Amino acid sequence: MLSILLIVLAALFFTGIINRTKSLASGRKGPGIMQPIKDVVRLFKKGAVYSETSSFIFQIAPTIYLASIIMAMLVIPFGQSKGLISFNCDFIFFAYVLALGKFFSIISAMDTGSSFEGMGASREALYSMFAEPAFFILMGSFALLTGYTSFQEIFAALHIGSYLSYALATLATFVLVMVAMIENSRMPIDDPKTHLELTMVHEVMILDNSGFDLGLILAGGYLKFAIYGALIVNLFIGIVDYQYAIPVFFVIQFAMAVAIGLIESFMARFRMNHNAQFIVALTSVSLLIFFGALLILGKFN
Amino acid sequence: MIHVVLIVFLITLFYLSIANRMLTYVKVLALQGVLLFFIVFLQLNEINTLNLILILLETIVFKAIAVPVFLGYLLKRNKITREAEPYLPNFISLLITTTIVVATILLSNSIKDTHLDKMFFVVALSTLFTGLYFIASRRKIITHVMGYLVIENGVFILSLAVGNEMPMLVNLGIMLDIFASVLILGIFLNKIGDVFKDVDVDQLTNLKDY
Repeated sequence: MLSILLIVLAALFFTGIINRTKSLASGRKGPGIMQPIKDVVRLFKKGAVYSETSSFIFQIAPTIYLASIIMAMLVIPFGQSKGLISFNCDFIFFAYVLALGKFFSIISAMDTGSSFEGMGASREALYSMFAEPAFFILMGSFALLTGYTSFQEIFAALHIGSYLSYALATLATFVLVMVAMIENSRMPIDDPKTHLELTMVHEVMILDNSGFDLGLILAGGYLKFAIYGALIVNLFIGIVDYQYAIPVFFVIQFAMAVAIGLIESFMARFRMNHNAQFIVALTSVSLLIFFGALLILGKFN
Repeated sequence: MIHVVLIVFLITLFYLSIANRMLTYVKVLALQGVLLFFIVFLQLNEINTLNLILILLETIVFKAIAVPVFLGYLLKRNKITREAEPYLPNFISLLITTTIVVATILLSNSIKDTHLDKMFFVVALSTLFTGLYFIASRRKIITHVMGYLVIENGVFILSLAVGNEMPMLVNLGIMLDIFASVLILGIFLNKIGDVFKDVDVDQLTNLKDY
């Protein structure tokens, strides 16, 4: 329950902080921290326009997208406190419920019949397909290391002891941050501020959504960021008390938002054909984490 | 701690397989030299001090500084293009490197030898095979030399695994290293860089004996 509250709170500010960092880095004052939320509220007051060629899939997809993200949010724990629902192997549920939302946003992009949107959908599908093994191998090696299979038990039992586990934790953080970047269509993979349809990945998929639907998709995007941030926080606050864990949560979320803003200000996006190999490199690194976990367990010496 | 360095070494192999620029290769080779320095420092704690200093100096001076600087100089002097130009796309290179690492891990897991340090064995063997793969899949001669250097790093790691018992092996590895880098880089590549304007292996297939 606590985790949901914290994630929603973090989601309110996350994108605003990213935008503020970007504007400060480029020497502007920039919009206020709450501007993204105001945008969503404004969009919620509007109706939506639907193309005549699109079917009901296009109309239900944004709702399902947001619903899937909220479902995924429910299984995220916070330190010792469980998420609202928690069961064995819930990390598989987490990944696939997000994939369901992504699937619907992909077929709704196909549904519009626009060639640009189809192209963006194919890219997004490719990237999430490559990112999936990285996430599963990572979570699988955590499950192997701790002997539990639900998020809360894994994170509660995860403790850092030797040098090797420090290295693995660093690598795991790196992989998780990068998976979060891919899932949220952010910088090294996808540039949210690009203005050319040919180079977009996620933005081009939602070109035809307007008004209320666009608001749902944007809100889903903000939540998704905070969810992945919460996952990364969970890596570090296994058995820490609440009075320290909650500030740590906000500090890490804030640091992540600032880091994303700085990366987007100072880095160019990868070339499209380099993205796939970059994402598969994450899978290779998580394979190394897997073997490192075997090494710690003494299954392999 | 030593495992950490070895894992970082494996990651450099992945990075090498998706690198585009020649300068990136040079930098990764230098990084591997630094990592080898740390591995030597952590691993060889039972041999005599003089020998240890010699080996440490060799890794830091030759592997981390001299050879990369020399390679960078050659790249500039011979006006070698900055792109690596592999035969296969980088994506497939990455998959093959990953397969090599996984295969060596599985192979070493099936060996039931208590004297063998598995971690060293895995890293050494996968470095060796990755170096071989680089030689097979890259077009330029200078990349072949780099692949050879990667293989040598693999051999060096393997010799470090038994370095405490047989320091002679490590010294032999160093001799091989100095010999190879100086000889190949100095004579072979310079000549070719001067005689042919382009350092492309494909053109060597056109050489004929009339």
